[in-house]
Amino acid sequence: MLSNTYKNKRVVKLLALLALISGFVPFLAQAYTGVTVVVSAETPVNAEFVESFKEALASGKNGRLRVKVIDLQEVEKLVVAENSELVVALGVKALEAASKLKHTTPVLGVFTPLPTYNNLLVSSKRVLGNFSAIVLDQPYTRRMALIKTVLPDVKNLGILLGPTSSQDSELLKDIGEKNTLNILQENVTQEADLIPKLQKLLDSTDALMAIPDPLVYSRETAQPILLTSYRHQKPVFGYSQSYVRSGALAGVYSSTKQLAQQAAEIAIKSQLAPSLLPPPQTPKYFSVMVNYQVARSLNIQLEDEDVIYKKMLGLETVE
Amino acid sequence: MVMVNFRHPALLIWLLFVNSQLAIAEEAVADSAGEKNVWPLAVAAQSLTEDDYLGEVPKVLTVSRLSQSLADAASAVTVINRETIRASGIVDLPEIFRLVPGFYVGTNAGYVYNTNHTVSYHGMTTAYSGAMQVMINGRSVYSPLFGGVNWSELPLAIADIERIEITRGPNAASYGANSFFGVINIITQNPSDPAGSSVIATHGEERNEVFYRNAGKLNNLNYRVTAGYRQDGGLDNRNDFKRTRMLNAQADYQVNVKNGLEFEFGLADGARGEGNINEDNIVFLPRTKQIDNHYALMRWRHNVSDTSDFSLQAYHSYARSDDQTTSVNILPLLPAFAPFLAVDRLHIKNEVIQKRTDIEAQHTFSVGNNIRTVWGGSIRRDSMYAPYYLASKKTDYFDLQRLFGHVEWRPSEKLTFNTGAMVEHNDFTGTDISPRASINFKPNRNHTFRLGISSALRTPNYLEEKFQDRLLIPMTLPNPLGVNALVVQFRANKGNVNPEQIISRELGYMGKIGRLQLDVRAFSDRINDVIRFDGRTDFTTPVNTFLLNPLLDIEADSANNMGSAAVEGLEWQANWAFSNKTKLMFNHAYVHIRETQPDLKRNFVNSMPRNTISAMVTHRFDKNWDASIAYYQTSETTLLGDGDPVDLIRKCDVRLARRFNGRNWNGEVSAVVENLFNNHYQEFADYNTLERLARVNLRLDF
Repeated sequence: MLSNTYKNKRVVKLLALLALISGFVPFLAQAYTGVTVVVSAETPVNAEFVESFKEALASGKNGRLRVKVIDLQEVEKLVVAENSELVVALGVKALEAASKLKHTTPVLGVFTPLPTYNNLLVSSKRVLGNFSAIVLDQPYTRRMALIKTVLPDVKNLGILLGPTSSQDSELLKDIGEKNTLNILQENVTQEADLIPKLQKLLDSTDALMAIPDPLVYSRETAQPILLTSYRHQKPVFGYSQSYVRSGALAGVYSSTKQLAQQAAEIAIKSQLAPSLLPPPQTPKYFSVMVNYQVARSLNIQLEDEDVIYKKMLGLETVE
Repeated sequence: MVMVNFRHPALLIWLLFVNSQLAIAEEAVADSAGEKNVWPLAVAAQSLTEDDYLGEVPKVLTVSRLSQSLADAASAVTVINRETIRASGIVDLPEIFRLVPGFYVGTNAGYVYNTNHTVSYHGMTTAYSGAMQVMINGRSVYSPLFGGVNWSELPLAIADIERIEITRGPNAASYGANSFFGVINIITQNPSDPAGSSVIATHGEERNEVFYRNAGKLNNLNYRVTAGYRQDGGLDNRNDFKRTRMLNAQADYQVNVKNGLEFEFGLADGARGEGNINEDNIVFLPRTKQIDNHYALMRWRHNVSDTSDFSLQAYHSYARSDDQTTSVNILPLLPAFAPFLAVDRLHIKNEVIQKRTDIEAQHTFSVGNNIRTVWGGSIRRDSMYAPYYLASKKTDYFDLQRLFGHVEWRPSEKLTFNTGAMVEHNDFTGTDISPRASINFKPNRNHTFRLGISSALRTPNYLEEKFQDRLLIPMTLPNPLGVNALVVQFRANKGNVNPEQIISRELGYMGKIGRLQLDVRAFSDRINDVIRFDGRTDFTTPVNTFLLNPLLDIEADSANNMGSAAVEGLEWQANWAFSNKTKLMFNHAYVHIRETQPDLKRNFVNSMPRNTISAMVTHRFDKNWDASIAYYQTSETTLLGDGDPVDLIRKCDVRLARRFNGRNWNGEVSAVVENLFNNHYQEFADYNTLERLARVNLRLDF
């Protein structure tokens, strides 16, 4: 997972590498003239993205970029003007389809979880410079900053990891340490262990931070996880708006508009050097969401979302 | 070719720094440079999609599921959780209420209808204490017959209980009829939480139990089925054994994001010892009776919006008790009548069938962030077939309708106002209203002060309103003489009893000081129109009968509203976590009851111990071993309704448990010794002597 602390170092290394790789690439794409947004279906979220993306592009200085939308449901095979387009793929299906395009076509994934992006990167045998993404995952540093901002007394933070998320175990511990949080974790390998392990965790932690993992956090497990935590009177920090709405105490998320803004910035910046897309990144702009009903029931007094957000911004700039 | 070679180091570094597939990738890449080793990665975690982040999750903690924080609650509330129940080592559910400040629990109280635990709060304790609302998952389980709960007949396994919320003080506005002295709200675990199977077995002196439960998931349906058998030998010198078979099933079905259905079904049947030879050695002799109960419930939960929930529930319950008794030979007892008696023994068939059907709708919503409202209504029909008690073979019906509403308003973080009321209409007492109001002041997150006033009404139960129980002894006198039966009348209720009224004022404090949590409540209750029995002579027996009461010096009683009482005192609970491993819970209640009208028969000044103390220390030695020790003390009492004067009681229970973990199973073995020092004390009445009891319990989850 990306984190701000690692970012600079990584960027330098990656850029160096990419420069090296590009030297061996026989054909270097030309500056693109348009953007093709690939969607797997016409959904309100996708429509909102396209709308906001266009607006953000228009407000940029670098002239005009055409924006074309391709709905995967309406085409048999994804075809784009491969050497003159930036492809922005919305969602996993679209990114998967785009990953099969000619390797020199720059592809930027949006609405993609980091683990899935990684899998596609490997399976498509593409290189980073023309296969990047703004992942859905918020950086752990930011998520922990939220916890420290709203509940400064939290010392022991519980995390429940599954087969996918368990890779982040050490990273979480490190970032926790930097945020003066003692990370207590339980690994779930089968569904039946979920609630017993959660209960064990809740006995010794002050709060729970949900980490996306198909085995641990899903639509089906939301009820037992949130209810069990609530019965233990322990707040859960969600990773999405709907998780907060469902019963987590709070979470950071990026709105469609915020992601579109970031995507537009990338599109503008890389227009002249299409094979030098910036490395995959976490959402730059974010919002805070608080479930005040849950807060009140847990007797936790929380400030306004705006106030919390501003405090967090302060923390991020300090770093 | 060159490019391929470079792609791998690039990947490797990317993965090292950034990736959450770190471990697998490293292995794959380090193994060999061969490309096919990388491929399994793609399969490993493909299931995480944008839907996991952006898709809708059903709203779990809906407005109606979120309870008020204790700091905002309108009354004093004690929450007993699973862990406390486990640590206490109890096998009979009502025993747990000894850990609630101000509660009195009497083992196997009474000797009529059933030998049953009595649970009361702040006095007026009888064997059939009926001034409390008791609910299991929103279903009211008190008996319309006598107002109390037949605890041992509930199709409920202690292992299935998630927590118990006890409201100390009247709360009719939220919980409806009978929420007079307090409310016990038992909440079971979510079906399938946890999934799997368990066997729980207990063996000990006078006690054998075994339960099996299985919980799981079928698509959107979560279910749990618990079946069990319980055998309780009862007390040494009483005929109070209980053998119960029970089955309980619960299921949740998530229809879609907005709608859920819940189902419950339970049954319990078995045999009960009945009859107390010390109290009655002529007619109601020690015998065995059969009980048979079942219920079914269905609830629809609809999440209207983020701030609004609706639920509709309906349940039906059925309880049958088949008690038949044959007296001793009565001819020698009634020598003057002996030649004319048609029978020498009386055979009494006391079958009781109680049914309850209840439909309730409830709407919870919040307005902005500061106002939360619950309102709703219900209709209920209780039916009662009790030919012996009611002196009629007709089924009697009791209809009740109610409307209720409660508003919580938080004008600031520091203040919470609660107000609510219930309007009830029933067949016995007509239309009544029970209002309440309270203010909570929270100077900061750790301290809350509460000032409240609440009023509730208790509708008389069948025992108080309609009982006409009597013995009929048929005679063989020729008809012209005009008498064909002798009558011994026990109760001859006039009916039209007014509801009892309580007005409760309280000052509460809840605080957190370091690791110590305190809950203190000072209360002053006034109970008006107290319902009590009084002898009467102005009643009529069936035509052509002769009343034996004057000859036998037995009064026939009728319930009346007489006088009032004041109940004042202070109670507190302290929860102190010395460390993560050692915890103390301490409860003390001082309750002073005054009669406001002197010279009333069997007054209730001693119907509650002046002082009750209970404490429990739990300690976890390590991952596997834990122990607890509990202490209970009640000062001397003279309880009502079958009660007798009994002395100060001191009792100490200990429990030691060890957990075991296998590959696919978890287990726990525990040993409990109740009344460790073997004090032979009397509880509730002088015919109940308790001694030391030991038992072992095994639990296996797989």
